Amino acid sequence: MYIIIVGCGRLGGTLSEELSDAGHNVSVIDREGSRLEALGSGFNGLRVKGIEYDSKVLKEAGISRADYLIAATSDDNLNITVSLVAKETFKVRRVIARVNEPSKKSVYELLNIQTINPTELISYIIKSRIEGNSR
Amino acid sequence: MKSIVIGGGKIGSNLLKTLKERGYDVTLVEKDEETCRRIAEDINTSIICGDGTDIDVLKDAGINDADIIAAVTGLDEENLVICQIAKKGFNIGKSIARINNPKNIEMFKALGVDQTVCSTEVIANLIEYEFDRDICKIVQTFDRGTMILVEVSVNEQNRWLHSFVKDLLLPSECVIASILRDGKVIYPRGDTQIMKNDNIHIVTNRATLLEIKKLLHNGGAQHAKQKK
Repeated sequence: MYIIIVGCGRLGGTLSEELSDAGHNVSVIDREGSRLEALGSGFNGLRVKGIEYDSKVLKEAGISRADYLIAATSDDNLNITVSLVAKETFKVRRVIARVNEPSKKSVYELLNIQTINPTELISYIIKSRIEGNSR
Repeated sequence: MKSIVIGGGKIGSNLLKTLKERGYDVTLVEKDEETCRRIAEDINTSIICGDGTDIDVLKDAGINDADIIAAVTGLDEENLVICQIAKKGFNIGKSIARINNPKNIEMFKALGVDQTVCSTEVIANLIEYEFDRDICKIVQTFDRGTMILVEVSVNEQNRWLHSFVKDLLLPSECVIASILRDGKVIYPRGDTQIMKNDNIHIVTNRATLLEIKKLLHNGGAQHAKQKK
């Protein structure tokens, strides 16, 4: 699989390393060079520094042959913008975005962007663990 | 007319004032509490302190019955998301986005936000225009700069003076449409000679205009002069 990860923070960085270790072709985009360097020498994917939704940057990251684009930054507006550009301009078939602010989920839904909502997931896991223990 | 302005920076607050003066019913949405307070002291209008990319905040601002929405924050991704929400989620007659970085103009167009104003580009163009307005000025802009009509006034120093139209070295993306001489319109042919005080009208685009200006500065009619 050719996977583009947008945003190299905690989620983006971890995901990049894991997918790359699993043998996928990964390229990571971030506007902060320091975050890309933090991936370390073990990461053998492509690192692209630049504005995440800039067409030139996305092309450099190989968007024309991407199977997946994951918008994983901690800024919802950035994730939405990148997802829209990927879907509508570059026709990437599988785009998944990370929801940061749970109240923004409705915006992603309105614009037909598939999402993962970490806050919701984590609270669900914690809740079920607490309830599981009390039983 | 009910309108919503999102972003209370310099552009947003000035826009708010202008719209108020023209009798519009305006609601401002701004994130920063301090900025909201400052504007509230200055202008008497409804202000909502909140995130303009949040659907609930936009509903509070009255997006359901708004005619116009203007997204003028300092972040392009924010302005884009606001316009997308207005377009896809609500039936807004007109949504206008401010673009901060000219590089993003294409992206806004591609995603169907066609009413945009790029503040950086507008200012840069105005300054540039002031610089050489005596030789070259934009008379009319079509489709926000994709096509422009430029007027070149020919003075004594003009490199094109006394040249024939056929000898001018012009970039490919431009056409000399007409020449105004003593109030008369001349439809130029190859053998039309350019005279002093002529006003030459050229149809071109912004990128090519820069090339034309360069030619005017560096001798676009060298070829013709050598012939004499």
